[in-house]
Amino acid sequence: MGGRGLALVALDQVGKTYAGRGGAWEAVRSFTLDLQEGEFFCLLGTSGCGKTTLLNMLAGFERPTAGRILLDGASVSGPGADRGVVFQGHDSLFDWLTALDNIGFGLRLRGMGRRERREKAGHFLKLVGLSGQEGKHPSELSGGMKQRIQIARALAADPRILLMDEPFGALDALTRATLQGELSRIWKETGKTVFFITHDIEEACALATRIGVMTRGPGGTLKAVIPVDPPFPRDRTSDGFMAVFRQVHALIHAELAA
Amino acid sequence: MSESRLGTVLGYLAGFALLFLVWHLAATWLVRSALFPGPLPVLERAWALIEDDILQEQVLASLRRILQGFLIGSAVGIPVGLAIGSFRPVRALLEPWTEFFRFIPAVAMITVSVIWFGIGEESKVFLIAYTTVFVVIIATAAGVGAVARDKIRAAQCLGASRLQIFALVALPATVPYILTGMRLAMANAFVTIVAAELVASNDGLGKMLWDARLFMQIEDIFVALLALGLLGFTTDRLFRLAIRAFAGRFNPTM
Ligand SMILES: Nc1ncnc2c1ncn2[C@@H]1O[C@H](COP(=O)(O)OP(=O)(O)OP(=O)(O)O)[C@@H](O)[C@H]1O
Ligand SMILES: [Mg+2]
Repeated sequence: MGGRGLALVALDQVGKTYAGRGGAWEAVRSFTLDLQEGEFFCLLGTSGCGKTTLLNMLAGFERPTAGRILLDGASVSGPGADRGVVFQGHDSLFDWLTALDNIGFGLRLRGMGRRERREKAGHFLKLVGLSGQEGKHPSELSGGMKQRIQIARALAADPRILLMDEPFGALDALTRATLQGELSRIWKETGKTVFFITHDIEEACALATRIGVMTRGPGGTLKAVIPVDPPFPRDRTSDGFMAVFRQVHALIHAELAA
Repeated sequence: MSESRLGTVLGYLAGFALLFLVWHLAATWLVRSALFPGPLPVLERAWALIEDDILQEQVLASLRRILQGFLIGSAVGIPVGLAIGSFRPVRALLEPWTEFFRFIPAVAMITVSVIWFGIGEESKVFLIAYTTVFVVIIATAAGVGAVARDKIRAAQCLGASRLQIFALVALPATVPYILTGMRLAMANAFVTIVAAELVASNDGLGKMLWDARLFMQIEDIFVALLALGLLGFTTDRLFRLAIRAFAGRFNPTM
């Protein structure tokens, strides 16, 4: 067990090398990190540094070519309901199901009865602020609403950890700010552990309890981990917030310049 | 929504009116031949044929064959297409079949079909099923291949088994492709049925065309052509409506 016994997720010297047509490509190198239960971890890094690759390994979609990933002490070998994923695009929603049935999909897989499932899905629908939209299909919802459904769908399956890959990247600034606030509130209410990938330094500073900054690819790895202390809800103009922002900004821009 | 639908219907009516007008003008001013009747004598003749229950009989004979063959072809094509799209070995095994037969048009199969099944119903139903099955297989298999990877991954993260992913994700996501394949197949079926009935049949619109030619009943030929066009148009619109009804729930780009 050692000192890592308490971590919910342990990434130990994780590496991923793709065997592409143009030769081998090392996307992630020797990435080591522990995620604690209940924390909101934001991973920041320049484009192409390996963030999505890392999330895909955590989710079990891809296998590491080096090192290992443990969840509750057990090795991750494939995707499972203990890790909920919120995808960047909207492709993952089930177009033929209503908002409510999308959210209840994981419950249906477990054989939960229709009545109970609708009730429970309705609870998560409300949690993400979509009351009144239960009967709509994804094509009838805005981009922000679709991301809310993704979040509710993942939460309804009650995973140990929520993995999010730039979930608000494609939204306009106002919607993004609103959803950031909602996500922060939901995280507080549910106490879920969140692993959140973003390009956006301000977003990371607003949401995270810790921010990890990656080095530039190829062979991206963890460069620094910065604790974010200002209390929630965060005032983006406060001195504490600005101090963290400047610190992270300097780290990222050092990578861009490198 | 209903307003735009009304607009479409009015547009269609105007389009058909224009078609008849052009036809009328061409027949009375341009061609002026007994071999090219205008719409009025043709409609008159159609009415007479309807009153004698003759046109309905021919239309029903053709439609029945189309429907039977189409249903058989779809019933075989959908599961085979799903299997090809889902399992690599099945694809490798059956792709030569689909890619081989799809280049042999049903019209080319008429002779064998008549030799095998005679000039009764079976040969026509076989030909329609033949022309349907490969189109449906190919469209269905393509649909399975086009299911967004994130959908399958999302289901996996919600705890779906392979069987659940197939039944609850891949299958519904493929429905618009299946319907589109069936729509194309239906258009092919109209082409095929006429050819088949021209060559060997006791009734149907193709047979009506053939007989009318023998006895130089030019109006009858035009009645049959008109009936074919209208039937095809109607079935195709119905399919489009069905696809659209799903479009909101399925792929909005279809
Ligand atoms: N399947 C693959 N085969 C080969 N190379 C890949 C594959 N997936 C990713 N890569 C490469 O690995 C590197 C990291 O990709 P990744 O998608 O993880 O970056 P990212 O940090 O998520 O970037 P972004 O912020 O732009 O989304 C890139 O150079 C990419 O080209
Ligand atoms: Mg990425």
